[in-house]
Amino acid sequence: MADRQLTQILSQLKSSSLSYADASSLLSKAKLLLLQLNALTPSETTPTPLLLLARETYEQGALASIRAKNPDAFTRYVSQLTGFYELPASVLPPNAGERNKVTGLYLLLLLTQGRYAEFHSELEALTTRDAAAGGNGASIEGDRYLGYPIRLERWLMEGSYDRVWKAMKKGEVPCEEYGVFSEILTFQIRSEIASSSERAYPSLPLSSTKSLLFLESEGAVVEFARSRNWTVKDGRIIFPTAAEVAAGVDGGEQEKEVSQMIIENALGYARELETIV
Amino acid sequence: MPGKTPDKEPVENGGYRGGKDIDMKDSDLKPKGQKSAKEGDDEMTVVVPPSKATKQSSAPPPNDADGDVAMDDPSKAEDGEVKVDPIVQTINDIKSNFALLDRAVALFDARFTLRALRSISSIRKRLTPDILAQVISETFPSSSSSSQIAKQLLLAIGRPGVSLGRQPGPEMEVDSEPKAKNGAAKKEIKEVIPEIDIFLAILTQVLLHDSKQFQLGFEFSRYLVARVQSLNRRTLDSLSAKVYFYYSLFAEQIGPLPPSPQSPIVSIRPTLLAALRTAVLRKDIDTQSSVIVLLLRSYLLTSHIAQADLLVSHTQFPENAANNQVARFLYYLGRTRAIQLRYTEAHEHLTAATRKAPSSACALGFSQTATKLLLVVELLMGDIPDRATFRQPTMEAALHPYFLLVQAVRVGNLEDFEITIADHADTFRRDGTYSLILRLRQNVIKTGIRMMSLSYSRISLRDICIRLHLGSEESAEYIVAKAIRDGVIEATLDRERGFMKSKEVGDVYATREPGEAFHDRIRACLALHDESVKAMRFPMNQHRLELKNAQEAREREREMAKEIQDGDLDEDDLGGEFEGM
Repeated sequence: MADRQLTQILSQLKSSSLSYADASSLLSKAKLLLLQLNALTPSETTPTPLLLLARETYEQGALASIRAKNPDAFTRYVSQLTGFYELPASVLPPNAGERNKVTGLYLLLLLTQGRYAEFHSELEALTTRDAAAGGNGASIEGDRYLGYPIRLERWLMEGSYDRVWKAMKKGEVPCEEYGVFSEILTFQIRSEIASSSERAYPSLPLSSTKSLLFLESEGAVVEFARSRNWTVKDGRIIFPTAAEVAAGVDGGEQEKEVSQMIIENALGYARELETIV
Repeated sequence: MPGKTPDKEPVENGGYRGGKDIDMKDSDLKPKGQKSAKEGDDEMTVVVPPSKATKQSSAPPPNDADGDVAMDDPSKAEDGEVKVDPIVQTINDIKSNFALLDRAVALFDARFTLRALRSISSIRKRLTPDILAQVISETFPSSSSSSQIAKQLLLAIGRPGVSLGRQPGPEMEVDSEPKAKNGAAKKEIKEVIPEIDIFLAILTQVLLHDSKQFQLGFEFSRYLVARVQSLNRRTLDSLSAKVYFYYSLFAEQIGPLPPSPQSPIVSIRPTLLAALRTAVLRKDIDTQSSVIVLLLRSYLLTSHIAQADLLVSHTQFPENAANNQVARFLYYLGRTRAIQLRYTEAHEHLTAATRKAPSSACALGFSQTATKLLLVVELLMGDIPDRATFRQPTMEAALHPYFLLVQAVRVGNLEDFEITIADHADTFRRDGTYSLILRLRQNVIKTGIRMMSLSYSRISLRDICIRLHLGSEESAEYIVAKAIRDGVIEATLDRERGFMKSKEVGDVYATREPGEAFHDRIRACLALHDESVKAMRFPMNQHRLELKNAQEAREREREMAKEIQDGDLDEDDLGGEFEGM
């Protein structure tokens, strides 16, 4: 009885583009049903069809929470799904597409939140899983959903921001849920580029700054420049030089710090020598 | 101590040297190179000291002499003395360990237990089900509460027919006479202590492992672990550590093999965690350290990095654990940290692991694996490993792919780097360093840019793009800008004309760099000094002796002074003596 209801809810969830409030009320109903069926977490006695239903519920829940930009709920769904994903194929036939989609989203989330350690831990797990399945790593990077965050991470690390930009723009995004992160990523790379430019260029014309920072108009550039304390003069942006920055922040302090450090070190050596001799 | 290692050991270990990971499975060692060799060492640093214990102990009197000879020099006994039957010999060897265990219990001293455990490696080569069956049948009296245990042991080694008490197995006809007597004598004397029974069980595990009966071994170990957990005896600590070790080893060997989440190593984790908890509560350092290491290994095998991290943060690795366990722990910890991008910590742990790894050839696998990982971590940190590392004769072949990798990173040649990865992808994957190596790409690019910045005072972005095989000029521009910000190079970019202009390289001695390097070295020296002071061992009460000596010396001096004063001693004589010296 309950499982039929669950199937119904699931089809509702999948069919229409619900608002998050609707979706979440449906989801909590689904979860209640799962609880009644004792299938909230996988156990050895849970029958396969129920496991399938439970997994699907969580997957839908994860996607819905991403659409609603609710990372916490998404993370919760992902950890609930982990148990299901570790079940052997004989008990629960794997559905690689959905799984990769959710995992890919999770990777992207970790990436945008700057949780690189977890990102790489997750990645390592993926590689191991793939190796166990007899793959050679190519299948992960080749996967539409998984490859995306992996490539983004690599580009971000080496600094090919234009590729990240392109990947977010022209229909490269694997599915609509991934688009949610584009905004965050754009902001992230823009500030990265800005801080690199400050050091790399003495000055830049407004027009090239616009393309460099992927901004829409020159007005936006001026606004952005103001937010970062850049001087705009004669249609050029003059970046504060390194010396100015240093002087402004900790010029004298640093000098003092160096001498203090040397004194401290020397005293330390003296003390150590004393104890040895 | 290692000096005392019986001559035979290195020979056996010689087999591991060339052998790859697969060979390791033949031994009782863990399948991965480093583990196995490590474990090997654990048992190989065998000091089977000539046990005088045998004589005073309750071991069967008739065998005393033989037992002693065997312990003194097993190989010589085997080669030279024809009169001793190797089977009898082995049996005696095993039995002489009972004496050690007896003493361990009587004196409450774990050292004797460790000694017994170390002898396993020399016994194991000669161990057969029949020998073990005979020992069991002679050790356990037929009519006692422990006969049930003995039955289990016999069942596990496939000799359920052997009866306990006096009758040895039918194959043993030749020497059945004295043996039977021993068994009988023993039976009358006392009940078998649990230590001996567990020791025999460990031998059974070893036997099952060597004969590759993993499934059976796993079942048996499960029973054994339950038994060990039901006993609460401090003298069992180091024995139970071994029991857990083999338990997890068996679990790893039976399918589905580790990376799969259905592997038995996942199912035994609760048992191991329970064992860890008990061990911590009982301050059982041996079990604690080995179970932590086993758990870490298990987590890493299934890539449960987060769990491994949690385990490390919630437990404290015992400080005075056995050196080998420490080395293993550090290796796994370093591995976890490397995956989490905490390279500095990883580097620290891995350096310590490679240093703590036994330098003898038997632990070569461990050293190699740890060194490989260390090299990759060093590269990731932007350092170039010392060339001497690759020249060590024992490492050269194994490290070759890494050598190529280092070369590519050093000159910043992206093409070479990618070719190396493609060529040796399988090796890297097997070593578990592949995903780490993929992260190196950005380092290669950085080095490449650095090289170009050093060589050219001005270079167009287009050329950079072509040399580094970057996708486009825009990419090159962003990458160079990032490199400038990260302090990799000192340069400026000219957007309109599209080139990178290197700044004059400043005088490095004007910066604080030399001071820091100097400070680092001094700190290392001081730490070394501190550690060596801490590592010194002083014999108990030795200082009293010295005090006494000093006092005596002072007395003598005083006497002499007195004599000089009295004029008994001729000043000239004294002077002459000194000149002579």
